[in-house]
Amino acid sequence: MGEFRTHRVRFFDYMPSAITAMAYNHDTERVALARASGAVDVFNAADNYFQEKVIPGQDSRAIEAVCWAGERLFSAGLNGEITEYDLQNLKPKYKVEAYGGPIWALSSNSQGNLLAVGCEDGTVKLFEILEHGIQFQRNLDRQKGRIISLSWHPSGSQIAAGMMDMIRIFNVETGHTLHRLLVDRGVGASKSREVVVWSVAFLTDHTIVSGDSAGKVQIWDGLTGMLIRTHLVTKWDVLVLSVSQDESSLVAGTSEGTVVQFQFISPTVDQQDKDWVRTRTFKNHTHDVRALAHTNIAVVSGGMDTQFVVRPLLEKVEKNTQESALRKITFPHRPLVSCAKKAGMLLFPFPDHLELWRLGESDRHGEPGDSLLVKRKPEKLIQLQRKGEEHICCSALSPCGGWLAYSTVSSVRLYRLQYNNSVSIKKVSNLPKVLHSALQLCFSSDSSRLFASTSQSSVIVVDLGHSECKSFHTLKPKSGTRQPTHLLFASEDSRWLAAANTDCEIRIYNLHTLKLHCTVPVYSSCPTAIAIHPTTSNLVIVHADQQIFEFSLVQKQYTDWSRKLQMQGLHPLWLERDTPVTQITFNPQNPNHIIMHDAYMLCIIDQSLPLPEVKTRFYNQMMLKSLPEAERTRHSHAFKMCKNFQHVMFVNLLEDQSLVVVERPLLDICSHLPAPIRQKKFAT
Amino acid sequence: MVKRQRGLTSPSTAKSENPKNASTLPLQSSDDEAPEEVTFEDSRTQALLSMKRALDTARREKELLKEKRRKRQELFREQKKRKFLPADVLEVIEPAAPKKQKSSEDEAEEEQEDEEEDCDELERDHKTTTAKNLKLSHVRKVRGNYIVTTGKEAASSSVQQQAAMDFLQSRLYGPGSCRTTSNELLSLQNKKGRNKSAAVQFVKKDWACKEKAKAEKLKRRWIHKQQVPSS
Repeated sequence: MGEFRTHRVRFFDYMPSAITAMAYNHDTERVALARASGAVDVFNAADNYFQEKVIPGQDSRAIEAVCWAGERLFSAGLNGEITEYDLQNLKPKYKVEAYGGPIWALSSNSQGNLLAVGCEDGTVKLFEILEHGIQFQRNLDRQKGRIISLSWHPSGSQIAAGMMDMIRIFNVETGHTLHRLLVDRGVGASKSREVVVWSVAFLTDHTIVSGDSAGKVQIWDGLTGMLIRTHLVTKWDVLVLSVSQDESSLVAGTSEGTVVQFQFISPTVDQQDKDWVRTRTFKNHTHDVRALAHTNIAVVSGGMDTQFVVRPLLEKVEKNTQESALRKITFPHRPLVSCAKKAGMLLFPFPDHLELWRLGESDRHGEPGDSLLVKRKPEKLIQLQRKGEEHICCSALSPCGGWLAYSTVSSVRLYRLQYNNSVSIKKVSNLPKVLHSALQLCFSSDSSRLFASTSQSSVIVVDLGHSECKSFHTLKPKSGTRQPTHLLFASEDSRWLAAANTDCEIRIYNLHTLKLHCTVPVYSSCPTAIAIHPTTSNLVIVHADQQIFEFSLVQKQYTDWSRKLQMQGLHPLWLERDTPVTQITFNPQNPNHIIMHDAYMLCIIDQSLPLPEVKTRFYNQMMLKSLPEAERTRHSHAFKMCKNFQHVMFVNLLEDQSLVVVERPLLDICSHLPAPIRQKKFAT
Repeated sequence: MVKRQRGLTSPSTAKSENPKNASTLPLQSSDDEAPEEVTFEDSRTQALLSMKRALDTARREKELLKEKRRKRQELFREQKKRKFLPADVLEVIEPAAPKKQKSSEDEAEEEQEDEEEDCDELERDHKTTTAKNLKLSHVRKVRGNYIVTTGKEAASSSVQQQAAMDFLQSRLYGPGSCRTTSNELLSLQNKKGRNKSAAVQFVKKDWACKEKAKAEKLKRRWIHKQQVPSS
């Protein structure tokens, strides 16, 4: 392993957005998360919870609820609109104004043909789900207060709506109220404030479960309209409820950050008298829990602390396995930062602006492990504000630092940068009209071409002149897969372009002939990082289940090293990591090295060394340092892991052989979060 | 009333008739004596006085009520005036020449002056369209039958959205929800963690930017000065 001077960058003020709503689709096993910035993330629960799709947000789209109807995704928010999303092109398909004021709740019935929305003006509106849109059907009886939460009865004949101080059960056919359930207010000071029923759930046996702002979970009989039981779960609000598909488990999320589980079990051995009994409490969040869902084997939760937590339920998985581990997903599963390798500059994207920084400089001498003195501090060269209301979804910086491109859902902008004494930036206006939005942007290594992946899995290649676009070509795939391309990589010698999409397909295009060269055999897991070796033209792929493949582009088959690795299998400690590899780079001075990283480690794979077996010690770098030179070659294996850097967002190797590591400490993110609950604990 | 009258009259009668009735004073308290003589004039004046007093109080009350009503009317008139657009805009909508100018923006003023000077319809068209293009959040005054609308979308929907967000904010973070700071949360974590450490202090990194930059410049200048004699 070589020695690298490392630029340890901590000035990327990345701030993730709070999670406000969540929905799980049982058929496709996808979890849709809605964030406070208006962005929607789709995670694949079957593929190691990889963040497959990110739909960028918008300033005014304050999403309060998401729901799946079949394979379609809908969301509604405080701007009073219901939005359907195009999951192929990662943007909103259309918006329908509900004309009821801000929308607080959205739910689809179990048949999948009706959507119910709960509005500020007290109406529950029913929309019919048609093939290419939704259409207003009718209103249920209008009420005096706002409708905060909704739940369909599984038969589709009744709706329970949580309002202020009460729950109403509507008959969907007639629109009239069947029952009115009055919810008690809190004790003491909160008796003067109205209690808000934040969440309701309607079960098949006509039981209604409600969670309200006085911290109670109440169980009602929907047929007679009577309260069966009250559970006081917390002193603060119960913000969200979720029922499992078989209705045997119920979870409630609170403002304290705890998730309380109730299970429908009988206290005695016989099955006769089953009841909802409080079983587990999960304390995995520091701030309010605002979104919850039951997947097949786990409870997933999200809230104001921006972390997506997966907690497998131990009765559904085997104990002490990889499957049963608690997972917290904080960072996005794609590289946000772009780096200009030759110029030593970094581009940081934010939802509303971009920042271009030049890295600092220091003296060249020092021992391994030293921190070198910074001679010239890193400086921010440009802050570029976006135009319009839509958030920036992707951005790229050319390796020479002369071109900057970013894309929103409706426009792509390209800028030319010039560095004389000061930095000057000029917008390039003659971009091809067909390039109106890009899912991923990438520059070629000589900065002569811009690659943009657009809708329908096609890639547009734009030739760049001195300061304008010369011409463009479109690379279209032969077969009609529509999934978005989330990874693009152009090889160093400008001969190959690799494009991977969320359907696990990877296509290689020959840039000299501008035609499809080959497709890599489809593997069951989604690729999270791809890269083409500069000299050997081997494509290295890492998947969401942490498998590594190497594919030779010249011979159009897997390399020997890759076959050897697959035969031996990866070390279990490698497979147990729970964050995906998001970036792969190569070392020009040593063609055997592959450098990759995930959020908690940096790894250099040396292809000339033997692969580790299951019983060998995986993290052996410290041990090797203590051995004498001669002994080292006997004990070393191919995977050299380095855990010096934590919460890593980006790693790359610059042209002058120095490593750039962009870290974002969790403490910095925590310090900018909104106020948590004050809990008086003993001895504090 | 009767008692008071008797009380009032009795000292006066007592004063005038004191030498006469000195002997009868102690007998006034007994019940057998006949009631006092009260002259008709006295009682008449008393009755008139009381009536006048009653009328006076009634009148005063009426006047007070009138005053109150008048004041309230004034207040409503003021509020109504404030709600309406200022008088000049209302005037202009009827075909009258504009007098006052509402905004202090220079472009608007120039525009209006030009409008007054210029009578060409085409130019007026252009200027009103420029008025439309300026993203102003209030109605601009016009001449004739042009319509100028706001550059942004209708404000009512965003008002509702803002009200809904305020409701959510006040329920979760408003008074009654005991919230603490992130600093406190992190400090408590430090205190209760396995390796106990000090409370977290947030440092504001961008304090005294200008002073720091000046100090940096002076330092560089001093270093340069030190190097020059040596080189």
